Amino acid sequence: MATWMSDEGLGARESMSEAHILTKNQLVTELYNPANQRDPARINEIQTRLQQLQKTENAWAIADSLLQSEHSAQHRFMGALTFTVKINVSWSEINVNSATEIMQHLINRFVALVTNGEQAMVVRKLASSLVAIFRHPVTPWKQAVWQLAASLVHGGYVSEEESRAVDFQERILPALSKSGSGALLFFSIALAEEALRLDSEPQDGAGDTSAIQRAIHNIKDGLLLVQFVLGEIIQHAKTAGDDAVDVALAAEAMNSWKTWLGVHGNRQRSSAEDVNVLAVRCGHTVIETLRVPSLSESAASILTQAFETRSWAFDDNSLWLISEILADSIVTAHITAVKSGDEGVESMSFVDLLIAYVSHLHLDIFSDPMTPQNAAILALIHGIFKTPGYASIDDLGTPRVLEFWNDIAESLPGQIEEGSSRYDLVKSHLAEVVLGLSSKLLYPKSEDLEDWGEEERSEFGAFRHDACDYLLSAYPVLGVDLVTVFQRSATSCLESRDWRNFETAMFCIAQLSEAVDENGHADQCLDAIFGSDAFARLCAGGETEIPLKARQTLVDSFGKYESYFERHSSLLPDVLNILFESLNFELCAHAASRSILTLSKSCARVLTSDLPAFLDQLDQFRSKPTATVPTMPKVLEGIATIIQCLHSDQEKVQTLERILGFFVQEANTAREEVTGPAHEFGRQRGHLVLSCIASIGKGLRSEGEVIDIELTKEGDPYPLSFWNSGPGAEAQRLIMEAMRLLIVDFPVDSSIIEAACDILKAGYTERAGLFVFPPSMTVDFIKSFPLGISGTDVIMATASSFLASHARHAMNIRSEAEALIDHVAQLFSSMLQNPDVYDPETANAGIDFLTRLLPKYYPILFTPAKSNLTAESPLAVLLHFTLHALTRPEPLPLKSASAFWVALIDLRGSSPEEMNILESVHQEFIPRLCYTIIQQIAGRCARSDLVSLNDALRRTVFKKMALARPAIKAALDSLDAQVTDANGQQVPLLSAQDKSRFLESLAIARGGQKPSLDIVRSFWLKCRGMNFDYAQ
Amino acid sequence: MSLCQNRLQEERKQWRRDHPFGFVAKPKRAPQGGLDLKNWECAIPGKANTLWEGGLFKLDLIFPDEYPTKPPKCKFTPALFHPNVYPSGTVCLSILNEEEGWRPAITIKQLLLGIQDLLDDPNPESPAQAEAYNLFKKDRPQYERRVRMVVRENQPN
Repeated sequence: MATWMSDEGLGARESMSEAHILTKNQLVTELYNPANQRDPARINEIQTRLQQLQKTENAWAIADSLLQSEHSAQHRFMGALTFTVKINVSWSEINVNSATEIMQHLINRFVALVTNGEQAMVVRKLASSLVAIFRHPVTPWKQAVWQLAASLVHGGYVSEEESRAVDFQERILPALSKSGSGALLFFSIALAEEALRLDSEPQDGAGDTSAIQRAIHNIKDGLLLVQFVLGEIIQHAKTAGDDAVDVALAAEAMNSWKTWLGVHGNRQRSSAEDVNVLAVRCGHTVIETLRVPSLSESAASILTQAFETRSWAFDDNSLWLISEILADSIVTAHITAVKSGDEGVESMSFVDLLIAYVSHLHLDIFSDPMTPQNAAILALIHGIFKTPGYASIDDLGTPRVLEFWNDIAESLPGQIEEGSSRYDLVKSHLAEVVLGLSSKLLYPKSEDLEDWGEEERSEFGAFRHDACDYLLSAYPVLGVDLVTVFQRSATSCLESRDWRNFETAMFCIAQLSEAVDENGHADQCLDAIFGSDAFARLCAGGETEIPLKARQTLVDSFGKYESYFERHSSLLPDVLNILFESLNFELCAHAASRSILTLSKSCARVLTSDLPAFLDQLDQFRSKPTATVPTMPKVLEGIATIIQCLHSDQEKVQTLERILGFFVQEANTAREEVTGPAHEFGRQRGHLVLSCIASIGKGLRSEGEVIDIELTKEGDPYPLSFWNSGPGAEAQRLIMEAMRLLIVDFPVDSSIIEAACDILKAGYTERAGLFVFPPSMTVDFIKSFPLGISGTDVIMATASSFLASHARHAMNIRSEAEALIDHVAQLFSSMLQNPDVYDPETANAGIDFLTRLLPKYYPILFTPAKSNLTAESPLAVLLHFTLHALTRPEPLPLKSASAFWVALIDLRGSSPEEMNILESVHQEFIPRLCYTIIQQIAGRCARSDLVSLNDALRRTVFKKMALARPAIKAALDSLDAQVTDANGQQVPLLSAQDKSRFLESLAIARGGQKPSLDIVRSFWLKCRGMNFDYAQ
Repeated sequence: MSLCQNRLQEERKQWRRDHPFGFVAKPKRAPQGGLDLKNWECAIPGKANTLWEGGLFKLDLIFPDEYPTKPPKCKFTPALFHPNVYPSGTVCLSILNEEEGWRPAITIKQLLLGIQDLLDDPNPESPAQAEAYNLFKKDRPQYERRVRMVVRENQPN
């Protein structure tokens, strides 16, 4: 072993490694040679070689030689780095003696470098090397800062014992040179940072713990050093002026304070009161540096960070000092300059400190009586809202101030008694914030907006929403007066056509709807806006000068006040007029369609008389480019909701035929388009047509009139009605025609399929109606799609909904149900016979369909005709396929197949005949099911499949123990995987005991979800290998 | 105050102080105007340069009493078309699973960023809804078309 302490001694090692040293010297020279800087390959090659040398046996000598090199600071830097690398590489070889020797040697080198005026980068690097050896668990080094300081004063290594004999604060610190203090700070920070790192990421247990424990002994000395250095600097600044301040040294000292606070706070704050006091006192000194112009920004930044994470480091005295400085000092001047727009973002540190201070005090800042300093500080805060420019973009202070006020508004009601003088004081400040915010919420002028990218737009949008969040927080305190502020602005701006301010006011009113719409508290305010003549003129149309943004905000606000408009239905025709007009503008179409739907749903009954006008508006809108899938179906759903409220079916049918006739035309157009070059337009048109018809179905299915399927016990599944054999039949024919045009011989498209399924499903909850189609229509639709298309899951889910809607009279749709089951059996059979066409989507959707039909339709599935278990029978095909799905890697079919078996095992027949069939199914298939599951959980399936497989297994064990036990045993016996043992012998992966223990444990778990899953998971891990365990 | 409430207060503070661009996360308001700290409404923007860019997807975080020992439930409202989102809207992600990747140290910010990552990088090993999963596996152009539609329907106001 060639370590620092090897027998050859340093001289011998030096001669041995002379060649290496020379090589390394050259390499370092080359590394920094400007000529090589443009040759990354060469630099890479040099670095690789250097790294190799740093790990050799001779690296100690190389490091030492480089550290003493007179070539350049880069060589000495590389020397220090090599020491660190070598300490880490030889970690396991270092013992107490060698650690002591390395530490002594490095201290001597450190002192020498500092004495010779070495550059900061080299000193800092060597400080890291010292920390590297400090960190070693065997290093007998505790009071490192003290000892290093003593050595620096002494001019060479001084032992820890000797150094402790001299008072650190009174004698050693004052004797340090300026370069000595700086070097000691480098070491102190490096040590504190290392302690923090070890605390958060312990690496090798006891060693690290010991290093942290030793580091803790240095907190006090680290803080005394900060106190000393900063004290000297402040004193020097007073006598020699700001220009003479060593800004870098002061920044190091402040940073050191923050880092030691971290170590102290994490480790011993509760036990070391003297250090607490020192840390706080040190904070006072840092606060004092706020008054030193060249240091104030760094101090503000450090203090802000300390407020956020180490607020215990501030006592009353600290807070008083800060309040004095914030209220009247150069810091105040900086903040004032920020709010006047005279200083840039670099001065935000002062605003941040201001916010950190008031956030720390929270409601305590509103003391009674309030100190003059805090009164001045609150005035400063309110003043930030006057900063020129847009919030979040040019003005970064406003969003931060807003956060503080939001916090205050949220806390006030729960923390200060309502009606007290303090409550009223805070309330007055919250109101002042509202006034201050108003101008900041103005939407950008178009010329400003043109220069903004997406990010700026989004940032400003987020600020506006934060501001509204504040309004909602302040509402419980300020009440309706808050709405009144914006209402007054809205009405006067509407009158004067000041659209920008009108938009802002309406935006705020819209956001406040959450607080006032349902309870009607602000109805008078809303009356003042929506009942005004100016608003009536706006709604009458032709107000083309209203900018799109203001229009968008206005139409959005209508939808947010649905309860208000329900109470004020006389306003609705006018409002809907402007909403329909707004559908023509791309920017407004979404919000307008949303509001049309909301208002139509909540006020449908009162809108029936205006229906003709809306239909005229619809006729105009439907040909506009803004009539798209996100907008037009919403409008139609709204209109259909109103149609549903017409008194007679006769009235309804006239209106519906008018609308549906248009969609049939559109479907014909789409059909023509898809065969030509405009096929994509055809597809989109087809999708739009079916989506609109589906939305009509949704609108007609008003919530109050949905039938309860469970109560509909008897009856014809498709009774004669107004809609299928009376005057409504033509409207129903139009829907079926549109569907035929867009499904039969139309390119298969999953969006179109989904819309068509929505049309079918629209009538499933009704007995008679426009959307109640003959049951055969659903069956034909489902059977019309070939195996493997996208959208099979939606189709089969529709099949399930169809069966569910007829569940109470299942036998009345027996032939339809049989047709669907046979269809699924055929699809499964194709996939079993031809694995190339296996489609996981069809597999999953088909199995899911079977699972859903089991509870109500099992008599159809288990009819004697279907349920002989020969390989070709539909039932056998279905069951085989579900077992097959359990063996495949696709997760969804596996999950649904597990759920199917759970449902099948739970199933109880209601007649002896059904029970016999079920029993024979269980007898035949439970052994196969157990075999399949055991094979899968023996490490073959994915970990995420275990939950589903366990569900099927535990249910089988719990409900069918007599069948399950021998089946599981047989399945376990068939597992014969081998592994190599420690002696290189092939042995079974699972012993007979393992298998029997597994089976017994499962039996004892008695089907419990968690215990069974734990057993199954352990079994899987055992078979798969422990490295798959999350806990590893 | 309970551990759960304390932690959520702290999360709220941290979020206000620093949250990723374009994200929203705040406790819901009770009808009286107070905050329900265990029920947050959030919004996740689609990542730039992905199919999801431009969309803002609303999500509820529901915190159990045992939070942060147990993870919150994350639920898109309305349910989102995505392979790892259950039809109910609940997100299927390992860091949200108590038995897998959940750790009490995971912050709301990390959770939401994790879900944002998931949007464009679905995990086909843990499908939660058939519709999006099947299209993702079988018909990528159609999947992408659907995502674009979802993005159009979920534009920020």
